[in-house]
Amino acid sequence: MIEFRGVSKTYPGSERPVVNELSFEVPEGEVCVLVGPSGCGKTTSMRMVNRLIEPSEGQILINGEPNTSMSGTQLRRKIGYAIQQIGLFPHRTISENIGTVPGLVGWQKDRIKSRTEELLDLVGLDPDNYRDRYPAELSGGQQQRIGVARAMAADPPIMLMDEPFGAVDPITRERLQDEFLHIQDNIKKTIVFVTHDIDEAIRMGDKIAILKEGGILAQYNTPENILSAPNSDFVSSFVGSDRVLKRLSLTRVGDLDLEPPNGNAEGLPRLSNQMSLKDALSEMIGAGAERSVVVSGGSVLGSLTLDTIRQLSGKATK
Amino acid sequence: MLGGIIETFQRPTYPGLVWTHVQLSVLATVLGVLISVPVALAVRNTPLGAAVAVNIGNLGRAIPSLALLALVFPFLGFGFTAPLIALTALAIPPILINASTGLREVRKEVVDAARGMGLSEGQILTRVQLPIAAPVIFAGVRTSAVQVVASATLATFIGGGALGDLIVEGFSRGDNAILLAGALSVAALAILTEVIFAVLERTFTPKGLKIAQQRRSG
Amino acid sequence: MPTVALQSLQPEFFDWEWLRENFLEEVWPAVIGHLYLSFVSVGIALVISLPLGVLVSRFRRLYTPVLFVTGFLFTIPSLALFAILVTVPGIGIGPTAAIIGLVSYSLLVLIRNVVTGIDSVAPETIDAARGMGLTNSQILLRVELPLALPVIVAGIRIATVTVIGIAVIGGFISAGGLGQLIFDGIDRNFPTLVLTGALMATVLAISADVALLVLERYMRPWARRARGAN
Repeated sequence: MIEFRGVSKTYPGSERPVVNELSFEVPEGEVCVLVGPSGCGKTTSMRMVNRLIEPSEGQILINGEPNTSMSGTQLRRKIGYAIQQIGLFPHRTISENIGTVPGLVGWQKDRIKSRTEELLDLVGLDPDNYRDRYPAELSGGQQQRIGVARAMAADPPIMLMDEPFGAVDPITRERLQDEFLHIQDNIKKTIVFVTHDIDEAIRMGDKIAILKEGGILAQYNTPENILSAPNSDFVSSFVGSDRVLKRLSLTRVGDLDLEPPNGNAEGLPRLSNQMSLKDALSEMIGAGAERSVVVSGGSVLGSLTLDTIRQLSGKATK
Repeated sequence: MLGGIIETFQRPTYPGLVWTHVQLSVLATVLGVLISVPVALAVRNTPLGAAVAVNIGNLGRAIPSLALLALVFPFLGFGFTAPLIALTALAIPPILINASTGLREVRKEVVDAARGMGLSEGQILTRVQLPIAAPVIFAGVRTSAVQVVASATLATFIGGGALGDLIVEGFSRGDNAILLAGALSVAALAILTEVIFAVLERTFTPKGLKIAQQRRSG
Repeated sequence: MPTVALQSLQPEFFDWEWLRENFLEEVWPAVIGHLYLSFVSVGIALVISLPLGVLVSRFRRLYTPVLFVTGFLFTIPSLALFAILVTVPGIGIGPTAAIIGLVSYSLLVLIRNVVTGIDSVAPETIDAARGMGLTNSQILLRVELPLALPVIVAGIRIATVTVIGIAVIGGFISAGGLGQLIFDGIDRNFPTLVLTGALMATVLAISADVALLVLERYMRPWARRARGAN
């Protein structure tokens, strides 16, 4: 669990603070995304967790203890760190890169070796092929995966990720996001994730902290709540005027209680139960249909009407 | 002519001249490294300090070698010490420039990642910055060494007793064979130094960096 | 040879009196002589290197042999080269031998920089120029050389500073210049002369370096403006 208590940061010689009295809590096992426009202090805030930057005021507590209770170096060995430009050591092999922190904290060689294999598998790269390669031999997407693997190497309970999927094209990024969410489903680390992209924040975050310029916390809540009830014009415009649609993208067709199939299914659009409500809406409007059939595998699960979608968009679900 | 040259090589005094030349060169280069590298390390994190170091290096590079030798002469007279000091001063600029720029050219995100992962400053220096900067530093030492070998020829004018002695002797006696013997010896030493350092450079370039270089130029 | 002992660190060590009296007669001609040696040598080397460099950039096969020859000249210790040139009948001691030697040393740097400079011009630029209807010599004079100029000036800078340095050694073969002061001073056991020659040569070399560096920076108005925009 990570807690920010009245954290501020002002650089000497500057009048305005970069981070201004930030206070919020990241529950254990959750992903908290810090998002906001340039200059909102999101990266600075993240870097104060592992003390790469020290706060001018306030405290950051990790599991109840101030993060100053040990040296910066020791603290960082317990926190995973993945940045946008990745920063793989060009002069070391992939396995040496991954094994850096385990080596620092004194793991046995065998354990490091098997952990490296485990992680390479986890991020979808064949260990036998990639273990002894060098960063220069890998593509941007592959390097980015190694960056994440390296951050997870010593199995830290907490991770800091600053636009870790930023250096690749949108298609690869989406895939990396999916893979990471899948990993997080199983492992449940406490993660502080920084991005400038509200869509990424909505996808990745259990909680989102929207920051304003000057490092002020605008709103801190689940994506669902922020989208249905933005607390200010700033948040409203930041999440975008399509926030209703964005909210729909949070729910999958299969998660709903569907109406029973109602007789004639001919000519109706067939939707997968994995599809998001937003995409379902798009399909039905495109087909000019008031109603659609939801399927999984070959079998029909139920049907979905535009009315249902309208009702769900209208109210704020808790 | 060729006979005269070979005769010169066979003189009993010849090995001594070569040895003095080598001694001066090696010592000056080593001292140059011992002075320049710590300075470059000390300023590696301060942009201003590094800029000063590089500028001093660049200015130092312009100083004529004979002028350096002449400058120490009135204070230290003839002998071994004066040329050694002058040649060390000559060796410093290329090493200082390369060590300083090499360390600073390590990409910022690599250092940031290392720090963020929990390497101490000392570990960042020895495990990340120095290995990555090594090829550039070596190139600097190589430039320096070759320059020193060539300039050690001039030590003869302040009694340094290296291979320049042969050149001066050949000139004043009007005997080109002796002159050429000296010239060829220095040229050979210079080429040998280049070759040794080329090998050293390749040995000390980490494999990962070689691959990155190939990819860039490929 | 007598050693100049620590007693020489006395006020008479550097004879300011002498310097004030003899500056115009002994020191100033040496400075002029040195400038003459340097500029004439770099000038001649440039006149050879520019066309040769352009030629080499067009006919790549010439590059290796040309580099080889000029590089070879570069490894010969300057002292030896001067000494040998002096023995060639018709040259003798004096500035001529020094100039020939200095020119050979400059050739390597200058040719290499001319070629690199021309190479650094983006092919698209030349293509565009040709597409606009410029003739080959127009392209050379109006596009390639101006764009290559910063690199060429960098080469001139290195060559000039190197030449000023090596010209000092010319004093050994009575080529004049500031080296002459140094050698005379050693012969006459007159530290003032040695130091004056050495210091002036140093100052000259550094000033040339700085001045040409400023020129080099000034030569890239398009790069300067682009950097300004960032």
